[in-house]
Amino acid sequence: MALVSFGIYLAFVFLLAILANRVGKSKSFVSEYFLGSKSIGLWAFALTYAATAASGGSFMGFPSLIYTHGWVVAWWIAGYMVVPIIALGLLAKRLNQVGRIAGAITVPELLRRRFESRMVGNLATAVVIFFMFFYLMAQFKAGAEIMATLLDGVPVYQEFVIAVESVTTGLPLIGEAKADYLLCLIVFAVSVIVYTTFGGFRAVVWTDVMQGIVMGIGVVVMLVLVLQQVGGLRNATKQLDEMTPPKFVKVVLSASPGASEEIRLPRGAWVFVEGGDDVVRLDSAAVIQNSGEKNEAIEALLITTPSAKERARKKVGEDVPVVAAIQGEPEGYAYGDGKKGVYVHAPGPDRKSSSGFLGVMLALSFFAFWNFSGAGQPSYMVRQMAFRDTPTLRRSIVMVAFYFSLIYFPLVIIFTCARILLPGMEIHSDRVMPEMAAVLTENAGVPWLAGLLVAAPFAAVMSSVDSFLLLVSSGVVRDIYQESINPNASEKQIKRLTYIVTVTVGVLGVIAVIYPVKFLQDLIVFASGGLGGCFLMPMIFTLFWPRTTAKGVAAGIVSGGVTLLVLYLIGFFQTGSFKEYRLLNLHPFVWSVVVSTIAIFFVSRITPRIPEALKERYFGKL
Amino acid sequence: MEESQDGEEREDLAASFRQSRKEFRFMLVTWVVFAAWTLTYNGLFAKGSDEQPVEIVLGMPKWVVFGVAIPWAIALALTVWFALFYMKDTDLGEPADENGGGEA
Repeated sequence: MALVSFGIYLAFVFLLAILANRVGKSKSFVSEYFLGSKSIGLWAFALTYAATAASGGSFMGFPSLIYTHGWVVAWWIAGYMVVPIIALGLLAKRLNQVGRIAGAITVPELLRRRFESRMVGNLATAVVIFFMFFYLMAQFKAGAEIMATLLDGVPVYQEFVIAVESVTTGLPLIGEAKADYLLCLIVFAVSVIVYTTFGGFRAVVWTDVMQGIVMGIGVVVMLVLVLQQVGGLRNATKQLDEMTPPKFVKVVLSASPGASEEIRLPRGAWVFVEGGDDVVRLDSAAVIQNSGEKNEAIEALLITTPSAKERARKKVGEDVPVVAAIQGEPEGYAYGDGKKGVYVHAPGPDRKSSSGFLGVMLALSFFAFWNFSGAGQPSYMVRQMAFRDTPTLRRSIVMVAFYFSLIYFPLVIIFTCARILLPGMEIHSDRVMPEMAAVLTENAGVPWLAGLLVAAPFAAVMSSVDSFLLLVSSGVVRDIYQESINPNASEKQIKRLTYIVTVTVGVLGVIAVIYPVKFLQDLIVFASGGLGGCFLMPMIFTLFWPRTTAKGVAAGIVSGGVTLLVLYLIGFFQTGSFKEYRLLNLHPFVWSVVVSTIAIFFVSRITPRIPEALKERYFGKL
Repeated sequence: MEESQDGEEREDLAASFRQSRKEFRFMLVTWVVFAAWTLTYNGLFAKGSDEQPVEIVLGMPKWVVFGVAIPWAIALALTVWFALFYMKDTDLGEPADENGGGEA
């Protein structure tokens, strides 16, 4: 059933790409392909903006955080209450106006023409391509993983996986990759690359509209189902108040006498602990030899809340003749271990940090991050250069405000309740969304609905990947080739090169994640923080301060990017992993914005003013 | 004649720039107000007490209602008012051609 839903969904996506291609045929290729001829109307503008903003993180990483840390994540995401007014309102009107005066199609092009400086344009292009590629990698991986979850257990899909495995085993480059992941990655990537290449910006916008609607419906349906199944929100919060975080243990599994010689249990299987009423959930697949020899210890999750334990006990397979013996001391959370109420209060439980998940300074960082990092993303700026007129912008802000309220706050409610319906998801909490979709629809007797609900995160990832793909290819074609290599290129040459670059960038993105990167959410935050840190303040100064100079903007881009990279490097050397260093507990993005602001202001002050005519062109007679 | 037309356009552009700057300042103040509300309220009340059960309002912890849900609802109302009544329409000019030609 999920496969049918997915098939219908993909068919619609391709149909929209074909229609977009037909509509755009009569128009100038570059402007149409990269910016939809600057004629995007209300629904398209609002939903393409919202759908691009709600990337895979919103439906994978975010639910996982809510599940893991509880109600405190409502505070973590609270900045979204003003995102529509800030991220969409702050720059859009001026950006669109200046973009029109400059005749710019891309963000680097806008900067280049505003200052008549090739240096600023090239610098901006390099930064966009550098950070966007990290984004693209993360989204390709997220898309493949969601698809693998969606198709898990579908017989036809399993046959394909086996076929792919038999073909790829032993091949160079892809021989060691997991067959199911590889298959999903290729299908996902080909779908997105084909419709983006074929339909350009207009196809991306139209599919974003459809994907935005799918996401909205998915969240509303889940909210209704979850509230019914937990007996109301009050009841759910009361139960959460009684919950304590699980513990991490190592267990040795042994088979009951009389069981078969070899028993295989999948990752996520539930097993009773010997000599008590405890249950554990296995963190990896297990093969139990019933030969009298001791099996190897594996990692598992020990449930500690009585009500969750009760629910988990029902999940232990009756025909699984296996029990677990806990080895050594169970490892508790660094903050919240054995403590009731941690899921309904700040700072929220945390496995690693003894000060909990969210303190005031970090909350401040994220309140700034969601708004200003959003405003500083070139992928959003491009959309702000594409709306038709200011009434479209004003109504879009209203629509996006309602849309984000409809998505983000309900997601917090849904996934705090998930802890009650789905104990033990800590072992792979990134999959809590598809698991919830399956459980909710199964409990409600409407399993066919699961396909639609799971299409929501898939739509979120797709709508982000297509935009990023277009942004990187526009950087190469428009900002490098047309601007610096062949300014007199014919439309036919540009068209051919655009198709080649879009496909090449997509293929490179796929190759980069054949062996998936480990730190998906960290990669997304790094890339968006980097782009926001590099572009937010330079763009604000460019649009609102006539005294800004090209060198000032260049200093802002470089200092913002370097500050972020340095803080990530310090974090890397401190922890040995891809983690940022939080000076005064503030996210590196905040520091990169501060440093960038100072750099632009002082460098602009000490460098010669831009010509008066250029100033008047963009600001009028002040 | 052409010169005066050009001068008028520059005046219009300057006026629309000043209006955009005014809206920009309003948006920044909005951010500061709501950031201060959520950070102050939640900083004071979200931690709760170890002994007392959580206070529930509208099915949620009380601090979520007063520190997130209510400011969110007010921010939504303010956004609607700002976008529909405060923000002014501006003539953005014709979409420029790809070679840099365009007028505000």
